[in-house]
Amino acid sequence: MSTLQTRGVIHVTDNCKACDHCTFICPTGAISGRLGQKHHIDQDICVNCGQCLINCPFGAIEDTSMVAKVKEALADPEKFVVVQEAPAIRVALGEEFGLAPGTNVKNKMYAALRQLGFDKVYDTEFAADLTIMEEGTELIHRVYNALGAEGFEHAGPLPQFTSCCPAWVKYAEDKYPHVLPHISSAKSPQQMFGAVAKTYAAEQLNIDPANMVVVSVMPCTAKKYECNRPEFVASGYKDVDLVLTTRELAQLIKEKNIDFLNLPDEKADKFIGLSTGAATIFGATGGVMEAALRTAYEILSEETLDKVEFEAVRGIEPVREATVEIPVKALGKKLPVNVCVVSGLKYVDDVIEDVLAGRSKYHFIEVMNCPGGCINGGGQPIRRDTY
Amino acid sequence: MGIFREKDGITRRQFFKGAGMIAVTAVLAGVFAKFGIDVFAASDDYISERIAGLYTLDEKMAIRRSHKNPEILQLYKDFLSPGEVKPLSEKAHHLLHTKYGQDIPGLITELQKHQHEAA
Repeated sequence: MSTLQTRGVIHVTDNCKACDHCTFICPTGAISGRLGQKHHIDQDICVNCGQCLINCPFGAIEDTSMVAKVKEALADPEKFVVVQEAPAIRVALGEEFGLAPGTNVKNKMYAALRQLGFDKVYDTEFAADLTIMEEGTELIHRVYNALGAEGFEHAGPLPQFTSCCPAWVKYAEDKYPHVLPHISSAKSPQQMFGAVAKTYAAEQLNIDPANMVVVSVMPCTAKKYECNRPEFVASGYKDVDLVLTTRELAQLIKEKNIDFLNLPDEKADKFIGLSTGAATIFGATGGVMEAALRTAYEILSEETLDKVEFEAVRGIEPVREATVEIPVKALGKKLPVNVCVVSGLKYVDDVIEDVLAGRSKYHFIEVMNCPGGCINGGGQPIRRDTY
Repeated sequence: MGIFREKDGITRRQFFKGAGMIAVTAVLAGVFAKFGIDVFAASDDYISERIAGLYTLDEKMAIRRSHKNPEILQLYKDFLSPGEVKPLSEKAHHLLHTKYGQDIPGLITELQKHQHEAA
């Protein structure tokens, strides 16, 4: 139902050697095929995460490309093309140019995008901060509602799940429709950016949004599916037009013979380009949770945190939990907030079953499809050297 | 007829055959184990390194809390909730929030109506 016109971002090519590796990687069991026969992806169950793609030892799985359309838009003088880049891009793009994983190339990335011809270079991290403002406030309202405060009756039930990961959202829609009221109604940063770019930014820049093309650079193949979902037209236009993966951006940079490593350090454009450290960590598992805690803590306690790090939610174990005591000024007491972080969709079922059965002790749950978070997304540089 | 009787223990030839097989097995097991360990260790390494890259970058940022981002505050004051910083305002709801599953067709109708009124 939710997956109209969005089928088939990921497909198996004829290079498939039927080694069966992907069937163990796939978090939803969407891939099947007999040993020795080309494998097949069931698009009704596939969440477009691309984990099979980055883990295929033969490079036999591909994602739908929008590169040609991006080039077309860049070449069209009528179009005003703006670009946003997810947090996870800046610590992985360098790998395509021989740098070590984790090297920050943020400022060279902005410069490269300008050389590729984008009219404005913004940052998805701005929208990540916006997500925290909306999703964090929504969480506070849900907590007040659960405590019986007046004026918050419209708020949804606890626990609240994050909504940034399109693979997770599709999985919940497909398999657990009853858990949907628990998912934050806040859009993902990518979609928030598109909606704000074609309204607020277009207004500030005096540009007709009909001529604006919003391109995203994402570590993710599911973002290609997300931008095509029919409901993301709040600006009056398609909010996000095209999505490139980290790999495809590197390919564009190489094709244009840009000397990436010797680019000058540049900054993002103003209005919707400024970001914070809280937004940067969105790319790692536990990052959305930590960013939300930083803001929720300070808003509820009306105090300033001496130490902004919440190390308890960091790590790479698939399921982590923590309790954070927040002194709520309006209530005059400490409120223990139980949080849970899931990375790897394979591990989310038990957490959901607990929520549906009413025995979950959590208030806020972050779910990311890919093990380790977006930095290990299906659109990231492929590490074939690990095989 | 002692030469037809089997000797006790094993012959020299059998010993070499057995020892050879054990040695080859051990070497192969070592090679495969090393291969497996490499795959496991390597695939975890780059994930941790990218994560560490993000946390290092966070530490270097001048602002580390979303609600202190001046451009975010400006967006609320100028556009989403004129004059104040108020998340979940009507405009924020329209632009920044969505619905899921079977509520989507209703949301699309709502958005089209909004579009019609604006025009």
